[in-house]
Amino acid sequence: MANWAILSGIEGNLAAYEAVLADIRRQRQPVTDLYIVGDLVGLRGDNEALVRRVRSPQPGEPIPQVCTGWWEEQCFSLHGLRGLPDAPELVDRDRLGTVKDLWEAVSRQTVLWLADLDFGFHELDCLLIHGSTVSYSDELTPETSPLTLCDRLIRADANTLFCGRSGLAFECWVEPSALQSTVTTLDQTAAPQEQGKSPRRVVGVGNVGRQAGQASYVLYNPGTNKVTFKQVQGSLAKGFGASKGLSHR
Amino acid sequence: MKLAVISCIHGNYEALNAVLSDIDTHRADQIYCLGDLAGYGPHPNAVVELVRSLDIPTCQGCWDEDIVEGLNACECSYPSQLAEKRGHLAHEWTNRAIHPEVRKYLATLPMTLRQDNLCFVHGSPNSQHEYLLPSMDGFAALERVLSAEADVLFCGHTHVPYLRELDNGTLSVKVQQPGQGETQHQFTAPLKRIVNAGSVGEPRHGRPNATYVLYDTDSAQVTLREVPYDYAKTCAAIIEQGLPPIFAWRLARGMEFAERADDPGHVCER
Amino acid sequence: MPHFIAISGPSGSGKTTWISQFLKDQSTPQFYVCPGLGEISMDLARIGYRFPWVQVVAEAQLRAVLADLPDQATVYFEWGFHLDLGSPFLAGLGCERVAVLPPDLTESDWHTWADRVVAGNAVAAPANGHLPEVWCTPLTGQVFDPPSLEVLLLEVTGGAYGQVCRLKGIFELPNGRAFYVDFVEGLPGMEYTELNLPPWLAGRPSRFSGIEVTGWGLEQQAIAQTLLDSGLSDAALSQYHQHF
Repeated sequence: MANWAILSGIEGNLAAYEAVLADIRRQRQPVTDLYIVGDLVGLRGDNEALVRRVRSPQPGEPIPQVCTGWWEEQCFSLHGLRGLPDAPELVDRDRLGTVKDLWEAVSRQTVLWLADLDFGFHELDCLLIHGSTVSYSDELTPETSPLTLCDRLIRADANTLFCGRSGLAFECWVEPSALQSTVTTLDQTAAPQEQGKSPRRVVGVGNVGRQAGQASYVLYNPGTNKVTFKQVQGSLAKGFGASKGLSHR
Repeated sequence: MKLAVISCIHGNYEALNAVLSDIDTHRADQIYCLGDLAGYGPHPNAVVELVRSLDIPTCQGCWDEDIVEGLNACECSYPSQLAEKRGHLAHEWTNRAIHPEVRKYLATLPMTLRQDNLCFVHGSPNSQHEYLLPSMDGFAALERVLSAEADVLFCGHTHVPYLRELDNGTLSVKVQQPGQGETQHQFTAPLKRIVNAGSVGEPRHGRPNATYVLYDTDSAQVTLREVPYDYAKTCAAIIEQGLPPIFAWRLARGMEFAERADDPGHVCER
Repeated sequence: MPHFIAISGPSGSGKTTWISQFLKDQSTPQFYVCPGLGEISMDLARIGYRFPWVQVVAEAQLRAVLADLPDQATVYFEWGFHLDLGSPFLAGLGCERVAVLPPDLTESDWHTWADRVVAGNAVAAPANGHLPEVWCTPLTGQVFDPPSLEVLLLEVTGGAYGQVCRLKGIFELPNGRAFYVDFVEGLPGMEYTELNLPPWLAGRPSRFSGIEVTGWGLEQQAIAQTLLDSGLSDAALSQYHQHF
């Protein structure tokens, strides 16, 4: 039976990633698919070691399926591969210093590898993506207007939208229960149409690496359609952090 | 107050003149224009000069943007390879024909115009390239009107006029977060409307007549107008000016179809 | 003795359709000849694709094939409206002569010529002395952008490049499939038939495809340019093929 683990925002934190992998190994129902929805790399942490680890899963581990996120897009911008040049979003957000830090934190070779990754994954009736189909920087939270959430679900063409931009873990069921639409054209006024439909949901998958010792991710069982929030203990993350040097040799 | 909203003139001076006369007979107090003054048609400069001389508030259309910034519409905005090739021909012609001061004027056009609870855009509040088709999901359409913070959203770009009323919008939301109880809330939206002004100079509703809309701010009454004009004159000018004759053939049948309209959710990334 | 049948009638009257009902029979050897258009004959290609057991005979091989026919053979000559009914060639063969004509046509050269008249489609018979021109071109190797092809067919049959009374074409699409398209002025819509051929998913197809347009005042260059503008580039084609 399928069981997905969905992660986001490792941001180069190898120790946190190892802690999550360890937690995944402990699941009674084995994890069959592992999705990382963006922000694999970040400003802090050892991005190169993390990318090596992600690209060479150990025997028995699911092969990670990775898509791009906000930090990857900043790298593409900085390296002139996509979007506007010179990472204006990053400059706006932080100071110019961070641009230099990011340039040093991720090698060009790694950036080129990241540039080949998908923007998101359509699997079954789910979309797994960093922000939304509107943009990698689209931040959906439980506070986002219900109509905006509904719009993102319509655009995603999915019953469940897994996203990671906010870093929050949440499950938000949106039911567009009623709406009367009447269209008049030059030739006719059509009878009003009821546009209400069944509920769909947006799931925030948490964040693995942004805060030390506070990794969160979600498990999703496509058979039962159930989402389970997972939080990985800080002490464990630290413990695996100590073995960082060994894991990729 | 009576408003007239026109859009997508596309260098068709004959059609613009006929529409302005029709607006005169209906005694509109104010005209708004939703852009695409240039492209495909034979008289882009004359159209811009006329709109400017009448001080018509105008927002920038995707064709105006391309004339200012160079052709950079993503290829996905064309419905076919053939339409793309023709679009490029039209762009090159217009780019050569346009006067420098006209280009400068087009560059100054805003993306959005507002008056009280009304908002005016070319495509959608998100993008000049997004199509708000009447068949678009009602909740997505409602989201566009609300994101514009308006009660009535006027748009063009599809070249087919329509009025869409969205009433009794209701959504309920159930949120679950780790370590917290479940919360629920409901959201309701009052009546919102989308008014598509059609196209003055390049109609796509299957007849050659120009289209635009009238709006009465007091009664909220919307009137879709269809105005016959001497399209044969425009067709002759298209051929005379060296634009592809097929533009004239399609114009005479009200079947101009330059860009993609089957993927309304598509947002151009460029 | 081999049996010869010549079939004539105005453009779009249903000659090929009438012949096709007999070609389904595989019990005796059948031959199909459509003279006058050289190698670029949509009918010849379509009959060949649809009835692989029928021997379609190009003009160049006609003499050799006729000289060596099996006794049980039936040979169908599709005699286009642009060919002379009094042809000594036909007369020499001793053909059975069938005219497929619009039901309301009561008097014509075809009536005098035919042994048998069959009621076909209600197409307008061309006014005397104003026979339409036929323009055809092979398109072998061209693969079309589907929405562009749709626009092109709509424009050509709608009269954008001269008045068209008939269009036949075999077009290759990027999903590897080939379609036969048939338009007759006055009949509703356009007929699309998928040809029963293996999908061609590597490179450009080398099997025959082409277009035949019949009408008045045809702007041949403009049609040819639109055909070219609607064809996929190598890069676009290989992208499609990767996808399928």
